[in-house]
Amino acid sequence: MSNDHDPNHDDEWGVDVAPGDEPGEHSVASGVWVYVIGLVLAAILTAASFWVASGTSLLYVAGVPMALAALAIGQMGVHLAFFLHITTGPDNTNNVLALAFGVLIVAIVIGGSLWIMYHLNTNMVMPDMLLDMHKQKG
Amino acid sequence: MFGKLTWAAIPFDQPIPLLTSIVMIAVILGILAWITAKKHWHYLWHEWITSVDHKRIGVMYCLLALVMLIRGFADAIMMRTQQAVAFHAPGYLPPEHFDQIFSAHGTIMIFFVAMPFVIGLMNFVVPLQLGVRDVAFPTFNSVSFWLTAAGMLLINLSLFIGEFSQAGWLAYPPLSELRFSPGVGVDYYLWALQISGIGTLLTGINFVTTILKVRAPGMTLTRMPIFCWTALAANLLIVAAFPILTATLGMLLLDRYLDFHFFTITAGGNPMMYLNLIWIWGHPEVYILVLPAFGVYSEVVSTFSGKPLFGYRSMIVATMAICILSFLVWLHHFFTMGAGADVNGFFGIMTMIIAVPTGVKIFNWLFTMWGGRVRFQTPMLWSIGFMVTFVLGGMTGVLLSVPPADFVLHNSLFLIAHFHNVIIGGVVFGLFAGYAYWFPKAFGFKLDERWGKAAFWFWLVGFYVAFMPLYVLGMEGMTRRMQSYDVAEWHPWLIAAAAGSGLILLGIVCQVIQLIVSIRDRERLIDYNGDPWDGRTLEWITGSPPPAYNFPVLPNVSNVEAYWGMKQKALEQRRLTELPDYKPIELPRHSPTGFVTSFFAVITGFALIWHIWWLVILGLVGAFATFVVFAWRDHHEFELPADELARIDAERRKRRIALVEGREPGIRAVKYEEPTEHDPHKIGPRAEPDGGWKGPAAKRIVTGYGFWVFLLSDFILFAGFYAAYAVLSHATAGGPGPKQLFDLHSVAIETACLLLSSFACGLAMIAANVRNMLWTQVGYLLTGILGLGFLSIEISEFAHMLMEGAGPGRSAFLSSFFALVGLHGLHVTVGLLWLGTVMAQFWTKGFRADIMRRGMCFALFWHALDIIWVGIFTNVYLLGTST
Repeated sequence: MSNDHDPNHDDEWGVDVAPGDEPGEHSVASGVWVYVIGLVLAAILTAASFWVASGTSLLYVAGVPMALAALAIGQMGVHLAFFLHITTGPDNTNNVLALAFGVLIVAIVIGGSLWIMYHLNTNMVMPDMLLDMHKQKG
Repeated sequence: MFGKLTWAAIPFDQPIPLLTSIVMIAVILGILAWITAKKHWHYLWHEWITSVDHKRIGVMYCLLALVMLIRGFADAIMMRTQQAVAFHAPGYLPPEHFDQIFSAHGTIMIFFVAMPFVIGLMNFVVPLQLGVRDVAFPTFNSVSFWLTAAGMLLINLSLFIGEFSQAGWLAYPPLSELRFSPGVGVDYYLWALQISGIGTLLTGINFVTTILKVRAPGMTLTRMPIFCWTALAANLLIVAAFPILTATLGMLLLDRYLDFHFFTITAGGNPMMYLNLIWIWGHPEVYILVLPAFGVYSEVVSTFSGKPLFGYRSMIVATMAICILSFLVWLHHFFTMGAGADVNGFFGIMTMIIAVPTGVKIFNWLFTMWGGRVRFQTPMLWSIGFMVTFVLGGMTGVLLSVPPADFVLHNSLFLIAHFHNVIIGGVVFGLFAGYAYWFPKAFGFKLDERWGKAAFWFWLVGFYVAFMPLYVLGMEGMTRRMQSYDVAEWHPWLIAAAAGSGLILLGIVCQVIQLIVSIRDRERLIDYNGDPWDGRTLEWITGSPPPAYNFPVLPNVSNVEAYWGMKQKALEQRRLTELPDYKPIELPRHSPTGFVTSFFAVITGFALIWHIWWLVILGLVGAFATFVVFAWRDHHEFELPADELARIDAERRKRRIALVEGREPGIRAVKYEEPTEHDPHKIGPRAEPDGGWKGPAAKRIVTGYGFWVFLLSDFILFAGFYAAYAVLSHATAGGPGPKQLFDLHSVAIETACLLLSSFACGLAMIAANVRNMLWTQVGYLLTGILGLGFLSIEISEFAHMLMEGAGPGRSAFLSSFFALVGLHGLHVTVGLLWLGTVMAQFWTKGFRADIMRRGMCFALFWHALDIIWVGIFTNVYLLGTST
């Protein structure tokens, strides 16, 4: 359990970092700088989202949801990269794989539910049928 | 004072539950009296109840499962006898009691027999096979076990205080809604599963982290025993699927307790959404159970055939393929609910595809036996019985995966026969194989073979006699869950099925006798050298039972069958390895945290079921206080000195001399060549003998990774609530919609608060890394103030909506809105409480390594809440109000 082997082993495959830790040595200034960039990017993307949703005439109506989705995914990426320090480096492979698994499941749960429930709602004339059941009971 | 609880809750007028309760209480009191009389409390408290040793916890899980197996089986035999006599007659079980019995049978067998047994085996075996001393988070492991035990206690309490659910083992709405099930039965069901579900989720996180980060030096992923691979897949599935169960049951609880409308038939609720969500959990659950059982068969077949497992890498690929595919088949549980041809076609085909990797496994086991010197001992008998039985069950499953066939057979006894065929033939046989196989490792003596074989044959024959008639009955049109019937053709088949359950009863009796006989004859059955079956994996190198530290020195692994290679070399040289250089070992201290937490969990659950609100608050405060006390402790570990270690290990080495000198019956040197690994990626560090894996990762990495896995499960929890919102967002039931309700200005301020708070938290982390206390505390204080700002705006927004009559009771849309956004708000609240303790700990204890690890986890949590908020403000607020 408590095997504290040398964490500074520097070969390419052997080292992992904990998620949230920045790999390597950094000065305070460069550390703060990363958070500042993250904050600025996140603020810009948030402002853009609100602007798109406010009904700008620059976008075709059907484009609004797509633009919002793109901005949201972009901002989640910014948070992951600048705040949680998840990178594509080899020391982060395990963290990224776990994240990818989570994203896959989230996509299956949301996408699958919407697809299935859309079909069920269109094929089943549910409210009437259940209202009948309701009447039977009381 | 006592909510809904009155004397009427005790079933004085129903003889069967009353008698059972009295007998159960008498037995429990008898056991407690015996423990007191023999003065075993001290031993029990220090060696078992507060133990964080994975082996002890594993044994307790298996014991819990075996006890509950008897309870679940009692329900089964009551159903079988009822149906055998209920032809043109009411039988001896009134309908409301019969309905409770089939609901309890399913719930208990899945959640409190199969799950704890599987988790128990993983607990006991995985760290031993990985060649390490414990799991990643030993105290949480104890919490997991005791929360499972808390759920079990609540389920059993329902027998004599109140009633159990009558809504089937998955509690489908609208039947399980308050309107149609006003009693406490469904509440017992829901709270028992929520509490034990948290325990299971913690287990999943713990084992994923253990298997990926805590392995012996040289144990690369492709050198892990197959049981560890299947455990990895099963625990990944737990992490991915159990949050969905928590979300779904949580929504039903909100419906029942706070007048929400997720699944009601009024105000736009949609009961079909419950089925959709519960089966997103439900199908992976099947594989959570069966994959570890596949792992057991792989170990057993290889050991008892005296050969390496055939197709090791194809086994890994098949396991991981099932892990992913099991998330793409859930709709086959409700083909008939009205999805169109596209949806049914897709899920039907995916279901057929998942049979392919399973078939690969069957062939691998057959080829492992082929040409081997097969020893037909009990674990191997269970494995062969499994192969025959499971192939049959798998084929009826493929039959049911054809939607038109499913329209004919769904909800009939054919379905019941099918899933008992795969769960008994697949999971239960595997658990019994594992029980017989690892029992000597756990206790130092083998189980009696004669009684074991008798149990196997009664179970096997009993299974066929009990369940083959159900296939026929399904074909004859008999539906499941019938209390009585008047079709003459069914009667003889039901009598046969009842006889089959009688044979299974004899099998269980044989198992009880086997245990008693084995304990009595433990001298004759002793496992002297720790390797009773001529094993191939690392658990057989250490003593039986293993010492608390498992391995005096972590073994160096150089190929797939680590122990087999070491043993053959030792047998060739006819001597033990050199005396290792013993170093002191740090072991986790025992802790009552798990026991005390789940004590409060039982209190809270019971109070919630009976609406005793002051007791709810008391229970929650107690559980929180327990965690704070645990977090405050300063000594996590104690040290075992090197000379003590050398002294204990000398005994183990002495016991192994006869084995390595070839004097042990059944263990002989065979022609052995070190297997060569054909890995095109073997370049750089991977080409070294240790394959680039240096041993267990540093604590900071283990903790961070474990917390990361927890966060992913949290994302999936939100995905469940978000899916419900997305489906129900148009169900406004004539009430106000997003455009009338949402005020984007306050949402913008909330977002700004949360963003800046994340930034402040980042600065606090930087300050902590350079050990600057002032700026750490200032950063955290800002984080907290901004978080509090976010929370107060959200609360005032909620209060405003409630006052306008737009509360969750108004429509399904508002229910899902309040649940989703409220869940995020709840996370922020918990985060603020946590932040307070983190600040206090930095202040009082300074920048100690363990406090720094907690700071890192808190930062991850706080940043992750931002990511979730981005999803919420985009999808709920912006998309809802945009034109």
